[in-house]
Amino acid sequence: MSERVEWVLLAYRIPREPSTPRIAVWRKLRRLGAVQVLDGLVALPADARTREQLEWLAEEVLDAGGAATVWLARLGSAAQERALAARMAEAVAGEYRQLIDAATAARAEPDAVRRRTLARLRRELRRVGLRDFFPPPEREPARRVVAALAELVEVRR
Amino acid sequence: MRWATRASVHVDRAACAWLIRRFIDQAAVFVFVADPDEVPADATAFDIRGAQLSHRAGDCSFETVLRRYDLTDPVLWDLARIVHEADLADDRFDAPEAPGLDVLCRGLSMVAGDEQVLAVTGVMFDGLYEHRRRALLLGRDPA
Repeated sequence: MSERVEWVLLAYRIPREPSTPRIAVWRKLRRLGAVQVLDGLVALPADARTREQLEWLAEEVLDAGGAATVWLARLGSAAQERALAARMAEAVAGEYRQLIDAATAARAEPDAVRRRTLARLRRELRRVGLRDFFPPPEREPARRVVAALAELVEVRR
Repeated sequence: MRWATRASVHVDRAACAWLIRRFIDQAAVFVFVADPDEVPADATAFDIRGAQLSHRAGDCSFETVLRRYDLTDPVLWDLARIVHEADLADDRFDAPEAPGLDVLCRGLSMVAGDEQVLAVTGVMFDGLYEHRRRALLLGRDPA
């Protein structure tokens, strides 16, 4: 990664209670693949979608009685950027590994079950892809294993 | 009436603009701004931070507009299910149509300006509305 990335940051504080809005915000950040820089500071590579999503989350935090600001930022050094990107890549790598395990295990499932598992894994693969900003080596194997499962289902049709 | 929203419209804004022109204000004129501060004083803002007609309590702007204008047409609420998932993908609803609508809108905004995106998506949402209307009447997807 030679070119530097522009980041969008959400700095926020949200009341501990009630816990529902706090957990809702946390879940959405996880779904987006945001990386935690510090307590109450999360980051994503900036694009139209991530900026918009963090701005809506900022509104949600304000509505819940918290405080939130959205920032555009650049890391001070390439090394810091690599470290942050590596943490994000490791997080999605874990998700790809789970997908690989699930798709491998599904090969032994009865046909009808396997069909449903395939639909679920394809959906999951697409979701993980949306938060995969710095693709780890696990991405291609995960795609291949799910594609191989699809072929197996197709053959039995 | 003048209505303002963020430039480079995506699915939620395109759907809101269609909804406004079809069901709220036939003479609607749309203004596109880069920042909430640029919303003209005489315009009603939507899908932009700080606006009433925006994301609210987990709803996308399309749902907020439906609530705010008491639009109870079940076909519109079925469209809301699709628009919500295309915009937020938070699994609140089951909407297999959503990923397709999302990429169509993203692709459109890569090759067309905001006015043209609204023109094209306007026809698209007319068609989607008709499809869902027939689906609700039939109880299954129409051929």
